[in-house]
Amino acid sequence: MEAMLEIADVVTAYGKIEALKGVSLSAAKGRITCLLGPNGAGKTTLMMSIAGALKPRQGSIRLEGSELVGLSPARIVGNGVALVPENRLVFPQMSVRENLLAGAYQRNDSGEVTADIERMYARFPRLKERREQLAGTLSGGEQQMLAVARALMSRPRLLLMDEPSLGLAPIVVKEIFGIIAELNREGVTIFLVEQNAHLALQVAHHFYLMEQGRVTFSGNPGELAEDEVIKRAYLGTRRSAG
Amino acid sequence: MIPFIQTTLDGLMVGSSYGLLALGFALIFGVMRRLNLSYGPSIMIGAYLGTLLYIKFGPPTYVVAIVAVAGSVMAGIYVERLCFAPLGVGAGVASMVSSFAIWMQLEQASLLMLPRHSYPFPSLTGGELWSLGPFVVRPDYLIMLAAMLAMSAALTLLLYRTRFGLGLRAIVENSLAASLSGIDVERTMLKAFALASAIGGVAGFLVLSANQQVTAMLGMWATLKGLIAMMIGGLGSIPGAIVGGLALGVIEAHSQNLFGPQVRDLAAYAVLFVLLVLRPGGILGTTAVRRGMGQRGGDRWTTT
Amino acid sequence: MDFYLGLAQIVGVHTLLGLSAYCVLLTGQVSLAQAGFFAIGAYVAAMLTVLAGWHIVPAIAAASFVAGATACAVSFPALRVKGLMLVVATLAFGEAVRLFFFNFDYQVAKGEVKIGPAGGEGFRQIRFFPENGWSTLDVLIFIWLFVALVMAGLWWMDRSRAGAVLRAVGEDEVAAQSAGINVTAVKVAAMTVGGFIAGLGGGIFAHYTAHIEHAQFGVALATFAIAYPILGGLSSVFGTLIAVVFVQGFLIEGLRFLGDWRNLLFGGLILLAMNVRPRGLIDAATIAAVKRMRTSNKEPGNARTQGAE
Repeated sequence: MEAMLEIADVVTAYGKIEALKGVSLSAAKGRITCLLGPNGAGKTTLMMSIAGALKPRQGSIRLEGSELVGLSPARIVGNGVALVPENRLVFPQMSVRENLLAGAYQRNDSGEVTADIERMYARFPRLKERREQLAGTLSGGEQQMLAVARALMSRPRLLLMDEPSLGLAPIVVKEIFGIIAELNREGVTIFLVEQNAHLALQVAHHFYLMEQGRVTFSGNPGELAEDEVIKRAYLGTRRSAG
Repeated sequence: MIPFIQTTLDGLMVGSSYGLLALGFALIFGVMRRLNLSYGPSIMIGAYLGTLLYIKFGPPTYVVAIVAVAGSVMAGIYVERLCFAPLGVGAGVASMVSSFAIWMQLEQASLLMLPRHSYPFPSLTGGELWSLGPFVVRPDYLIMLAAMLAMSAALTLLLYRTRFGLGLRAIVENSLAASLSGIDVERTMLKAFALASAIGGVAGFLVLSANQQVTAMLGMWATLKGLIAMMIGGLGSIPGAIVGGLALGVIEAHSQNLFGPQVRDLAAYAVLFVLLVLRPGGILGTTAVRRGMGQRGGDRWTTT
Repeated sequence: MDFYLGLAQIVGVHTLLGLSAYCVLLTGQVSLAQAGFFAIGAYVAAMLTVLAGWHIVPAIAAASFVAGATACAVSFPALRVKGLMLVVATLAFGEAVRLFFFNFDYQVAKGEVKIGPAGGEGFRQIRFFPENGWSTLDVLIFIWLFVALVMAGLWWMDRSRAGAVLRAVGEDEVAAQSAGINVTAVKVAAMTVGGFIAGLGGGIFAHYTAHIEHAQFGVALATFAIAYPILGGLSSVFGTLIAVVFVQGFLIEGLRFLGDWRNLLFGGLILLAMNVRPRGLIDAATIAAVKRMRTSNKEPGNARTQGAE
């Protein structure tokens, strides 16, 4: 299987504290790869490192063979990687439409951008209803959809999603995961960080478990009993302490 | 009644120079949430370069204007690179102190160019006066008023109708999310800083040509007037900068008229202090501005 | 020799000014009003010795109280705002004080001459020291007695519960509040103490320069007051002292031979210091290193900081 994203031995630190202690994993092209793990395992740090918002101290992150480490976040977006950040981070004082335009910031094909905005409205009808509304006035689920749509506006080859279910009602979470599966069917490669292991395992083709800055398990859904995955994803095994 | 209206008119005319200065300040403050003490001294560099050219070679006035604007843009970029780009978020005081250090540099550099206290500066109108019925106005200040309105309109269009403006506003709202959306935060900020310095350069040129002279006090004067006008009007807001500038001009004119020239500046500071305490967002400030300021994680001003 | 005595006097007074800002900065507030409190101290103390004939000690004590009381009164409205708004509000207050003294004319005839503050002309002939036969060395000792007292007081406070409370407010106001700290009271107290110390410095300043005028107390002095503790670092009162020595001794006096070019380098060096050590010349890591050195006596000291003096 051809890899879209290959991460090798990445170490990222905050001052002296290493949040990632040599992480290696890969995400296959056209698939949904999921990263599970307890709080503080380093999942968000890994996402930020891929997106260029944090600079790894060592290791390499390759997108279809080309190195991303050392590029600015803007250049990484230009290379075809878009991150839907944790807590969504929409621009609250800007309208829905402006948020989508911001997602297409680097594109010069204004006609296609307009067409893409219409496609987003078709996919997320609620965004269409609220297109001139300020993003800060949207509900949590709507903001999550806007964050996904904003990321898609850059036409990424690889879509990174950091905890899309965070703080959302179960019915909205289901909707979001439906969208994730649908996007993937249309050919978008997705690398997903999730706390909700049950839902993640339903959509993922492959998953990794991460604990305390290291990858501790790699497999396909079904290779490990779901309750065991959930136990380790929420609590960690504490096996790798130190 | 006529003297009262005349004083108000005088205030509005001088206030348009404050409004112009405040526009540049508001742009920098709006984007960076940082206090750039070197704003005035950057303008001073441009003005002094223009003056140097003027007294040495006597070129046409528009050449002096171009040099003045270009000089302050160069100085502004220098300030941004040294004070604001390298010091990361959370170091508000550090960049303020650094910009003060640059202030001393720029002022000294200006004085090395032209050491005397004051020099002549080319006038646009020859300082003539126009009579409008019982009132007297100065055409050079009317030019300033027009420039202020034109520039604020242009700036509003830039912010709300262009991609650059969209990027700037995104950075103001959330710079992390902006960079994750593919916006080059550092470059956009540098451009905004250069633009603000250019506005300052235009303001400086118009003020000096109205005064027909340039003095060594220009740097401090421009920083303080721009800052006060911006603060009175509303933080980082374009209409606020205009309203603040005009209000400051009118306050100064009337307090000078009522209590004499010594009290003029004192009154401006007193009004600013009271206004800041009672209405921290400025006249046109919104509650959103107030909420965003100095709150947890929003606007860290210490280095502890 | 007189040159170094004079320099040591300046360093002493500016250390008091810097420490007054240090106090306020610990609570996370940035005040540009310190030059204003310094001016109030200077004018009040000078008027008491020159016009009322007081001895200098009660005069600067009274001046400190007036400056402290003013700071306390100002801090109630001013502390309603935070961050940049507070910076500008305090700047406005400081400038208003300066402009007040610019207009303040209160001269009394004494024999042939008129004495007292004369508006823009300034306040001349503050001659307590020469009239009472104090030598430069006496004055120097007098100044440093107060510097030592204030530094010892702040150093002790830093290590007591009060210091922890101040820093807690500076680190995270919301957290401090939820821990039961009365944040407003703490900030007002810090401003008051800061105003008191600035007034003390100003009172002394008026007497050793013998001539004060409004222009000495402008934005530049206010920024210097903030720059000292920021340059020196907020981990210890000694940082402020070292920063004053660095700025006044090295940058201002040491580079005097450069003449007109001095300020170019001055600005550059302050900038360099801020970029190389964004948390100040003496930061928490330096203190930890010094402590390790003291305990083990084996580890190398932090040469960078020592060399900066």
